[in-house]
Amino acid sequence: MQIEADTRSIPALPKHRGGAWRDVAGILLIAVAGAAGYFLFPDSLALLTRVTALAMLALSLDLVVGYCGVATLGQAALFGAGAYAAGIACVSGVTEPLSLLLIGAVAGAAAGLVMGGIMLRAHGLAQLVLSIAIVQLFHEAANKASSYTGGSDGLAGLTVGPLFGIFAFDLWGRTAYLLGVVILVAVFAALKFVVASPFGMMCRGIKEDPIRIRSMGAFVSPVLLKMFVISGAVAGTGGALAAISTQVVGLDSVSFELSANALVMLVLGGIGTLYGAIVGTIIFMAFEHVVSAINPFHWMTMVGALLIAVVIAAPRGLGGLVARLWTPSRHGERP
Amino acid sequence: MVEKKLLGAALGALLLGTVAASADTIKVGIIGPFSGPFALQGKNFQAGVEAFMALNGKSVKGHDVEIIYRDLPAANPAQSRALAQELVVKDKVQYLGGVYFTPDAMAITPLLKQANTPLVIFNAATSAIMNTSPLVVRTSFTTAQTTTPLGKVAVDRGIKKVITAVSDYGPGVDAEVAFKKAFEAAGGQVVEAIRMPLNTNDFSPIMQRVRDSKADAVFAFLPSGPTTLGFVKAYNETGLRQAGIKFLAPGDLTQESDLPALGDGALGLLTSFHYAVAHDSPENKTFVDAASKAIGSPEQLSFPAVGAYDGMNVIYKMMEATDGKQDAEKAVAAVKGLSWTSPRGPVSIDPETRHVTQNIYLREVAKDSAGKAYNKEIETFANQKDPGLAAP
Repeated sequence: MQIEADTRSIPALPKHRGGAWRDVAGILLIAVAGAAGYFLFPDSLALLTRVTALAMLALSLDLVVGYCGVATLGQAALFGAGAYAAGIACVSGVTEPLSLLLIGAVAGAAAGLVMGGIMLRAHGLAQLVLSIAIVQLFHEAANKASSYTGGSDGLAGLTVGPLFGIFAFDLWGRTAYLLGVVILVAVFAALKFVVASPFGMMCRGIKEDPIRIRSMGAFVSPVLLKMFVISGAVAGTGGALAAISTQVVGLDSVSFELSANALVMLVLGGIGTLYGAIVGTIIFMAFEHVVSAINPFHWMTMVGALLIAVVIAAPRGLGGLVARLWTPSRHGERP
Repeated sequence: MVEKKLLGAALGALLLGTVAASADTIKVGIIGPFSGPFALQGKNFQAGVEAFMALNGKSVKGHDVEIIYRDLPAANPAQSRALAQELVVKDKVQYLGGVYFTPDAMAITPLLKQANTPLVIFNAATSAIMNTSPLVVRTSFTTAQTTTPLGKVAVDRGIKKVITAVSDYGPGVDAEVAFKKAFEAAGGQVVEAIRMPLNTNDFSPIMQRVRDSKADAVFAFLPSGPTTLGFVKAYNETGLRQAGIKFLAPGDLTQESDLPALGDGALGLLTSFHYAVAHDSPENKTFVDAASKAIGSPEQLSFPAVGAYDGMNVIYKMMEATDGKQDAEKAVAAVKGLSWTSPRGPVSIDPETRHVTQNIYLREVAKDSAGKAYNKEIETFANQKDPGLAAP
């Protein structure tokens, strides 16, 4: 039995008992939290919309890092592909927001296919370096193709039509936020289904022991590539949401910095649990926002201190910490 | 739930803090890079604002003026929009100011009409921003505006052939295009145009191409900071200076805060710009004294401070015109055609473009009597508009 020795992988193992009910409760909780945000912070909806878009980036990263064990620092390439695709489509006349989200998802998935196709040829450190190289190439391509992307000036002039022809994307950002929450909840529910499926199990199996999976007769690379495509679609949707709500796409959306920040959010919330991605994004963004408003000049120091504190005090992330506090001690359940 | 409680407490504290402000206060939200690699530019924003308020009082017509700073460390339009939205909706600012990068400004302008808030740009230097909203006023410069006079300067100095070398990003390409247009209109010839990747560190191959091109001068544009230092160093070390190849650039490259690091290698470089800290006028002396006090160490003072200082002047004039009421259109209308004497010289707000019309100076890096390098103004091009906006 391999499992005994491998205690650190416990949170990634499927939870059988009451799994479905817990998932439904979790999804409801996110929806309720989203609605609460709408009523509690009606003046900060633009920030909250940004949180939903970045939460999708963190979720997509979790699929690759947390469920497949593929280390990447280039996830923003997929996010940016979605953002630029939606942005360019919008400038060229597609103004229906849901179509733009779909375009973003497709572009993200395509970028995921390319990125996965390249990255899965390497392993370990080389893979990580490749991911950085890819995001830098995407960044440079977006900078170079300035007649399409606006280069470093950003792609401006996106006029998105009202949602369903009724709800306009305005100063207060209500439409954008509610759209963001609905999409996030839908994506989350879909991903819960994906990671619990046999395909999701296979990914986790590959993460734990690729050699064993291969010797069982399964192909490793196509499975991971499939996850990359799904991850790309999720990140691309997030990017498109950011483009729609901001009405500008900047080079920062394909940057290494954004990729690294997404990983930080994920580590903060806890890798390998979809909840962790969302919790981490919320905590990171809220902390950054509050601290940088109190002291716009030295807030980065505080963010750094928080990160160190979390990594030392809760190595599985805040999500993991919460899960440990919530669930009663499970000693004796393990084989 | 521990972190949720903490979060709630922190947000609550923030909300209380903003409610405490008194009723008759006009709030101004300033967005700029106050941390990170561009923190120095944000610090200059702050110094300009504080200098203006120290010299002109902290109230207009009996209304107290309160400044709210928000940090945006690097170009990030999504964050920029979120900050502007929150400043308007939650903090109830009547004026927005600052903004260092073009994409950040582009993200804010679509909000202005609905927010009924004017935006006074202290820096972001792309011409096209002004076309995106009638409620934007700019007190900085555009790359085309500062670069264009160099074309004539080059021809006047007997330079016939120029090679351009610019960093491959928006402002670099703008500078290249503006220079080429002005230089060729004056009768010169651009023999080769090099676009260097932003993260280039080794400039010797570029210098070799400059030498091979047999040009009389090189026109350069790079982001200020380490890359500029590397470029100027390579220019000196590869013997281009000794070979008599002149160096032309917009003044971003020799901003005062970079001069100590550039050292003697910068002496003799010709740049054109709208402001030099060494500008000789009583207005500038008052400004430099006040801004140096605000920024702490005078060596850090540079052009964004004057953009912020004049930006605050524009905002104060808007407040006078509207007497504390929120009316963006009236505020902007009040400053169209406004002219005053800035620390940089005579300036006015062009009623058509809402961009600042100003003198552009040709400067040479020289040493003062104390041996400190400074930008010595040697020629003035009066009342320059933004040529980039001439044909939108």
